[in-house]
Amino acid sequence: MRKNHYIMRFQKGWKIFIKNPLGKTGLFILFVFLIMAFASFFVPHIGPMYDPMTGTDPNIKVSTYPSLSHWLGTDNVGRDLFAQLLEGAKVAFIVGLSSAFISIVIGTAIGMISGYAGGIIDILLMRIADIIMVMPSLVILLILASIFGQFNIWIIVFIIAILRWPAVSRIIRSQTLSLKHRPFIEASRVAGASNIRIIFRHIMPNVLPLAFLYMTFRVTSAILVEAALSFLGFGDPSQVSWGMMLQWVWKTGHMFQAPYWLIPPGVCISLLTLAFYMLGRAMDEVLDPRLRKEGQA
Amino acid sequence: MVVFVALLFSCQKTSKSTLIKIGLPEEPKSLNIWLSSDANSKKILDQIYQPLYTRDPNTLEIIPWLAKEDPVFNEQELSYTVKLRDAKWSDGSQFTSEDVLFTKKIFFDFKIPRYYSTWKVIKRIEAPDKQTVVFYLNEPSAIFISRVLTTSIVSKKEWEQVAAKAIETEKPLRFIQDYLVEKPLGTGPFTLFEYKKGAYLHMKKNPYFFGTGKKIAGFLLGPYVDSLLFKIYGTSDVAILALKKGDIDFYWWDIQPGYLEDLKKQDNIKIFLNKKSALYYMGFNVRKPPFNDKILRQAIATLIKKEFILTRILQNYGTPMHSIVPEGNQFWYNPNVEKFGHGQTPEERIKAAYHLLKTAGYTWEIPPLDDQGNIVKASGIRLPSGDPMEKFVILTPPADYDPKRAFAGTMIQEWLRDMGMPAFARPMSFNSLIDTVKGTHEFDAFILGYGHLNLDPDYLRSFFSSENDKPRGWNMSGYKNPDYDALADQQISIIDIEARKKMIWEMQKIIIQDVPYIPLYNPHIIEAVSTDRFGGWIEEVDGIGNIWSLCMVKPK
Amino acid sequence: MRNQKFIFRKFIEIFTIFFIILTVLFFLFRLAPGDPVSKMVDPTLTPEDTQHMIEQLGLDKPAHIQYFIYVKNFFSGNLGRSFHYGEPVSTIIMDKLPCTVLLFTTSTLLAAFAGVFLGKIAAWSKGSGLDNFLSISALVCHTLFIPWFALLLLWILAYKVGWFPLGGIISPELWIDDASVFMKAIDVVHHMLLPLATLFFIHLGSYLLLMRSSMLSVLREDYIITARAKGLSEKVIRNKHAAKNAALPVITSVGLSLAFSINGGALTEQIFTWPGIGRELIFAVSNNDYPLAQACFLLIAAVVLIANLVVDLLYAYLDPRIRY
Repeated sequence: MRKNHYIMRFQKGWKIFIKNPLGKTGLFILFVFLIMAFASFFVPHIGPMYDPMTGTDPNIKVSTYPSLSHWLGTDNVGRDLFAQLLEGAKVAFIVGLSSAFISIVIGTAIGMISGYAGGIIDILLMRIADIIMVMPSLVILLILASIFGQFNIWIIVFIIAILRWPAVSRIIRSQTLSLKHRPFIEASRVAGASNIRIIFRHIMPNVLPLAFLYMTFRVTSAILVEAALSFLGFGDPSQVSWGMMLQWVWKTGHMFQAPYWLIPPGVCISLLTLAFYMLGRAMDEVLDPRLRKEGQA
Repeated sequence: MVVFVALLFSCQKTSKSTLIKIGLPEEPKSLNIWLSSDANSKKILDQIYQPLYTRDPNTLEIIPWLAKEDPVFNEQELSYTVKLRDAKWSDGSQFTSEDVLFTKKIFFDFKIPRYYSTWKVIKRIEAPDKQTVVFYLNEPSAIFISRVLTTSIVSKKEWEQVAAKAIETEKPLRFIQDYLVEKPLGTGPFTLFEYKKGAYLHMKKNPYFFGTGKKIAGFLLGPYVDSLLFKIYGTSDVAILALKKGDIDFYWWDIQPGYLEDLKKQDNIKIFLNKKSALYYMGFNVRKPPFNDKILRQAIATLIKKEFILTRILQNYGTPMHSIVPEGNQFWYNPNVEKFGHGQTPEERIKAAYHLLKTAGYTWEIPPLDDQGNIVKASGIRLPSGDPMEKFVILTPPADYDPKRAFAGTMIQEWLRDMGMPAFARPMSFNSLIDTVKGTHEFDAFILGYGHLNLDPDYLRSFFSSENDKPRGWNMSGYKNPDYDALADQQISIIDIEARKKMIWEMQKIIIQDVPYIPLYNPHIIEAVSTDRFGGWIEEVDGIGNIWSLCMVKPK
Repeated sequence: MRNQKFIFRKFIEIFTIFFIILTVLFFLFRLAPGDPVSKMVDPTLTPEDTQHMIEQLGLDKPAHIQYFIYVKNFFSGNLGRSFHYGEPVSTIIMDKLPCTVLLFTTSTLLAAFAGVFLGKIAAWSKGSGLDNFLSISALVCHTLFIPWFALLLLWILAYKVGWFPLGGIISPELWIDDASVFMKAIDVVHHMLLPLATLFFIHLGSYLLLMRSSMLSVLREDYIITARAKGLSEKVIRNKHAAKNAALPVITSVGLSLAFSINGGALTEQIFTWPGIGRELIFAVSNNDYPLAQACFLLIAAVVLIANLVVDLLYAYLDPRIRY
């Protein structure tokens, strides 16, 4: 019974979504980047010279313009820039999606607990959420970088997630509040179900889809923060990411001489962020009927 | 906006032709000589505070500077008598032996970092008259002239009161280091006129400089410019652009080879290439497996293709290093140390390393040489004990900090993997790297460097004697060799320079044989000037950014 | 009186939060792995020198004693001494703060005004070519990667065309030649234009979009329909009634999106070597200059907390229902 309901809702939402030009464009751009990310797995197999981190062209020792063997040219030690760009796509997705996922898990849990428990727990959790939400994440990561030194890419992902769950928890909390007094919840309570059980078995399935819907903004902020951190030189130096590429072009002095190196990573970051943002706005329309153009149901 | 530009152009008066503009990559840390240790503060302070003796830029010999002549050594008393030149401080007051005595007093009273450790060999110091100082030593010291007498002397007048106040406080060193120095008194060619934090430093010619008009080290000294304007730039990019546009005449920093092509295209830019007294090397942790085995280290030394590093990573701007002492330091460098793999083809290197290891008992799942004697990619190397070699990590600075070292690590990783070794090069933030390698000692191998090695080779003792194997100590690899220790302790007290040279040579031989460090390369220092307005730069080891240049550079 | 109690309670709240952040930060630094103390001291020193410096800097005392000293000093205005510069941290911050404030407030004000103005127009001409153009431009601006955009501006406008300086805040030659105050001011403005442009465009995007959607929802409100029915001209309706109300969320979002602006500000300062707090923080972090890094961070935290307090109070003032 419930499954069909979900599928119907999804199909309805999809129809609205796909009509939206923002949604269409966003999805298309995202698709292109996904292909890039998958391609990055195959590139090193073409030849060791194309490894984004260690591959060097035996004939090329300096940064060069795009050519047949190097579609975007090479960086200052002869590594293929296009391979780096593809690798960066992979890293961007991994960072964005995992960070978003973790913050949704945390945010949903806290949002549900806060909304359901109410009272002092609610106030406390939401105050913490408020404080975390207003803190500039880049600055916090910088401070942590100075204390703990080196950051591994997963630690960066995790810390970004910890700084970004509040927005999720707010939405989940209000949804939980409205669900709290629904008859089926009351019934479970009367039947003697423990609070934990109620939260995770009954409320969660109803709020989770909402959480994932708002995931897009978490993804964009994770990608942007990681890129900024890498750009400043505090990222994971054993990872090639778009932010790292920008850092290398900046720090090795090729900023003014190598537009083929400077422009692509930045364009990619902006485009990917744009794509997710468009997706998010299109989903807004799905969820909020008022935003739809006149003539759509 | 066009209005802005027009206004700006109209407002800019023509700058005086005897103002030379020098770009700095970073703000100087502090103008307080007791606190500042960074390269950029030194650039400023070296034009102000002067030592008794300095090095001739061409011969590298020690010559008198604030002193009038060579020191006279008395073997029975273990004393050095130094006669002072007739010189004045920048406020016109006379430079006397009291200033030297006072400097020594500060070093001892406050245990000034970096200086006290070398000056403590002085038992007592006397000033028979205003122009003479006599140093009495506790024991003979080989480095007294080259290290102790080349320390800058400060003015008693400037520091007397501050020192007296500082001694009374609970933390005297902190007090004197935190003292805000605004107009340092010096005996050098320039004085500080204005310092606008974050933007620029304006120095003017010191009318009382003792060198003006005198011929020292073959140069008739000026300075021939009225002022120095140091402009602070945040990034090399911007500074080099400024150089190209003529906003500065000299960028005082090492330029990455990547900029050279672009700079060479401009006619009015002159590029200087000089050797550095530097050492960039791979170090091992010899305290634990697998690098506690000398044979393994020698095999790795055989496998590292230094020529590749030179051409590929340094773009030929440098020299390969075979010893811990740079080749350019001709007197102390031992050219007869063992050069593993030198001149061999890659295949010969693999064969040589293979034989070394095989004889020592190493085995492989797939050896690098198959039954027909062809070279294959090896895998699964096993220690003589039979256990497989565990994965090891080669730590390097990050690519943005030093692309050369980071990349060398990557290449070495590949070469070692070809031999079946589970090598992993890992970039690590510089501070963490130092902390791990010097502090916790939890590492396998690393690639680091010393950009400014003293011309005196006493650092051989610092790097390798057993007593320095401690947290924060300089012996990072944990090398312990009692024979070496004996030599190291002896050489520091030998006055006879030829006898000392024999010991230094022997020490190098031992180290290169035992390879706790594999020296990799010595990069050239690349600097550029604009030739439009000034000329007469003096080259020496470590580049043209030195006091001789600033005293000799003339407007065209 | 109720107002005052509310405000007072808010202040206590902010203060407590700030204090907690201060404490957490302090102990976090002490928890750093490895030997945090010798990291702070110049690694080129001998072990004896290092030990001596550590004693002199008071880093050998137990953590809780250092904490009390720190707190005591903090509230008497002494933020400690920078490990790197040796100068009092408060002096360094006072030096850098005006630059950041100048850049920040100018760019925010300009972006907010432009965003409100253009968003109003976009909403009013909804669906038209102009609206599409503005909306899409705003979207693109909003998602630009700041360092990249800044580098691009630097490359094209400062390097290729040469209209602007490559960074910094003043041209030293002008200042040592003793130019007039007017010329010096022009010099600073000239240096500020590119970082200003960067921040302006980035924020314009979000303010424009926000104003647009806010305006659209206001335009659906009943009182607008009433105003139209009353026969007021479109222009008057748009400017006097709708825009004024629609602008409110934009104003409050300035405060709420402060975190985003600060991140962007720090990046911009770094690229244009604008000598502000953001750049100083990044520099302090790279040098393990803990007192300076700590102080910069606390300053930023304080600004964020106060800004949010102001926004909270504004909301409370406007909407009497929100009082808890």
